[in-house]
Amino acid sequence: MTDTPLIIVYIFLFPGFLFLLAYAMLFEFLDRRIAARMQHRVGPPLFQPFADFVKMLGKEVIDPQGVDRPVFDAAPVIALAAVMTAFLYIPVVSASPLAFQGDLVLVLYLMALPTIILFVMGWLSRNIYSAIGGIRTVTQMFIYEVPFFLALLTPALMAGTWSISEIVSWQQDHLWFMVLQPIGFVVALIGLQAKLERTPFDIPEAETELVAGPWTELTGRRLALMHLASDVSCVTGCALIAALFLGGPTIPWTIAPVWLGWICGFFLFLAKTLVVLLILSSVKVATGRIRIDQLNTIGWKYIASAALVQVAVVLVMNSIRVGA
Amino acid sequence: MSVLSEMLHNLVSRPVTILYPKEKVPVPQGFRGRVAVIDEKCIGCSMCSLVCPSHAVTMVPDQREVEFKGKKLVRKKRPQIEVFKCIRCALCERHCPADAIYMKNELSSSGTDREAVVT
Amino acid sequence: MPEVIVPIGPQHPALKEPVNFRVIADGEKIVRLELDISYTHRGIEKAAEQRTFIRALPLLERVCGICSHSHSTAFAKGVEELMQLTIPPRAQYIRTIIGELERMHSHLLWLGVAAHEIGFNTLFMWTWRDREAVQDTLEEMSGNRVHYGMNEVGGVRRDLTPSQVNAALQRLPNLEERITKYVDMVQNQETMLLRFRGIGKLTKEEVLKYGAVGPTARASGVDYDIRMDDPYLVYADVPWNVVTDTSGDVYGRTRVRIGELAESLKIVRSCLEHLPEGPIRVNPPKTAPKGEILSRYEAPRGELVHFIRTNGTDRVERVDIRTPTLANWTSVAACLVNQNLADIPVIVAAIDPCLSCTSRITIVDKGDGNTGIVTWDELRRRSRLRDRRQEGA
Repeated sequence: MTDTPLIIVYIFLFPGFLFLLAYAMLFEFLDRRIAARMQHRVGPPLFQPFADFVKMLGKEVIDPQGVDRPVFDAAPVIALAAVMTAFLYIPVVSASPLAFQGDLVLVLYLMALPTIILFVMGWLSRNIYSAIGGIRTVTQMFIYEVPFFLALLTPALMAGTWSISEIVSWQQDHLWFMVLQPIGFVVALIGLQAKLERTPFDIPEAETELVAGPWTELTGRRLALMHLASDVSCVTGCALIAALFLGGPTIPWTIAPVWLGWICGFFLFLAKTLVVLLILSSVKVATGRIRIDQLNTIGWKYIASAALVQVAVVLVMNSIRVGA
Repeated sequence: MSVLSEMLHNLVSRPVTILYPKEKVPVPQGFRGRVAVIDEKCIGCSMCSLVCPSHAVTMVPDQREVEFKGKKLVRKKRPQIEVFKCIRCALCERHCPADAIYMKNELSSSGTDREAVVT
Repeated sequence: MPEVIVPIGPQHPALKEPVNFRVIADGEKIVRLELDISYTHRGIEKAAEQRTFIRALPLLERVCGICSHSHSTAFAKGVEELMQLTIPPRAQYIRTIIGELERMHSHLLWLGVAAHEIGFNTLFMWTWRDREAVQDTLEEMSGNRVHYGMNEVGGVRRDLTPSQVNAALQRLPNLEERITKYVDMVQNQETMLLRFRGIGKLTKEEVLKYGAVGPTARASGVDYDIRMDDPYLVYADVPWNVVTDTSGDVYGRTRVRIGELAESLKIVRSCLEHLPEGPIRVNPPKTAPKGEILSRYEAPRGELVHFIRTNGTDRVERVDIRTPTLANWTSVAACLVNQNLADIPVIVAAIDPCLSCTSRITIVDKGDGNTGIVTWDELRRRSRLRDRRQEGA
């Protein structure tokens, strides 16, 4: 799959950008619907996220006085571009054609960009709520990023490769990492919930304390694009965890012919990402928001130490395997 | 744990939302809805106008022969109520000696004419 | 970060009603608080002076939407006592039933709002769903979901039919089960415990010094409930307990309110089962004799005081309303210092603020833009100045 027209179809249509945007909106719909049903409500209809996006694109863009307009306009676009690019390296139907050694690191870096962009926008907004929200975003990022990276590092350590697609194919021959590294799986899920800034970690955007944190001064198309970036990063994050811990679009036996393998892989991908979304939605519904200093305590005491324990276990297991 | 079990139970049961306008909320008997006047019972005593807390009732001149407690008399005025000033407290219904003004069971529904009256 | 002023209000998603907290914060810690509570002042006390008793009752009922029955009962009770009128027992039972149902719906509302303030929207949805049962009962009995209009001077306006009594009794067991579930949830839910425990702690001495009332005071061990200490209506005849707690923080206040929910349910059930027969009102005299009275009522938020002065006409000469939220504001300002910025909505929600009740006027000095209140001596000095100017002119 290295000829240019196929690569262009892969990037822009399926499973690239067009599919990604549609899937991101479907994800948001499912997340809101499941959360609503758990709360005994009805929830929005299928096209709600798309309708919200179109509506927000048409609204007036209000600039606070003295704000740096080019940066403010460019920032949501950069965030959206970053997470959309990150998705291209995650296997959807089978190994990604753009895979290379080290694309795991690239994906993690690109997924960290929206958080930094949010901080930048909060800082530039000339608004006390946004400034405090931006500071909280960065503080939260320092707390969860270390355990999150460590937990996503351990599958790479055990599989002996830095490419996500190769980790997926390693899981096809051995067990899924969810079984081999359960602590890492839990830490990765917690880290993803914190990265996506969902309850109990929606501290930067605390509606009852800070109006909307760094999102306060976003209006019109900026809000639409940033919200879309948030949705896409949800899909990318769930796909990453599904790929690294649940085996991605593969099952432990190969399917022939190849095109049937691709179709099965696609449906497996859908199923696994939806399972991760279900877990994240349940956590969102079942908890309230914690404070930033409490997150500091819990993050460094429990989550970071759990991640370190997992790394140590993996290193021990690796040395046993090498020795044996 | 109880939160989790209740969440999962709610996920598989029907939501409690009443899907207006397909389903309507049942309005109980005795609900204080829109104000209405039974013209043949009103004796024009102005009691409703005197007790209304929001001055929504004005008496307009109107002649009519009515029967009150077995006697025939000619009333001189009748009430005119500005619907959107009415606070639905039902004091008029309570103090009317002839049971001529009352609150209907239906909802007071919205409108666009601020001066709308019920007579 | 240097000290910054974080404006919480007058419009803010944390607040249900407009109030201006100008919080001066150093990073995430609060240094000082400036409070301005004049945004919903409507001149009700003055308006009540110009209305007869019949027309003043609906006005006073609309001081607040959630504790409307408290205000109208306190006023009606005070005027009846001035007129030396005893209302029939059935009327007293009906007033108690509506009052306790109002307390239940107010506490369920509060539980949802407190959960919403910490981002726990699930509990918010569930408590407000259960509150609908109470609202349906109130709608059947009184004709409206808020502003029940049940009271008049001399008794109640509507009677309870046996079918209404039965329908209400049938809704109670489900509510009882839900309340037990909420007790369990509050004690075991990790994030609620993290956010509520140890926040906004008030010792018993501080409560007595700042004059806090209601569940805010009872959570610090102050055993003060008007229904027990100065009984009115039928609280002396029905078996019930005052709920107190010793922790003094927001968690204690939550437990007190849920305990009061259970107690109110017991009172409602007992009153509904033992409703006496008889008339529901007596005819009051047209005018009230000269006198002054302090009418106290335990509203859902605490002790509500109506001071009523009559002078032999069919109107009141002065009615002064001291609502429980007004008494609790000082304790909020005191216990917010040195807390986290993130705890402001939790501590403010813990006293169950009802700003429609509270408003007092704030004077804005046009010259230098300062806001503040006027002391009694200053007020006298200014009015004397104005009189002298008018006489001289």
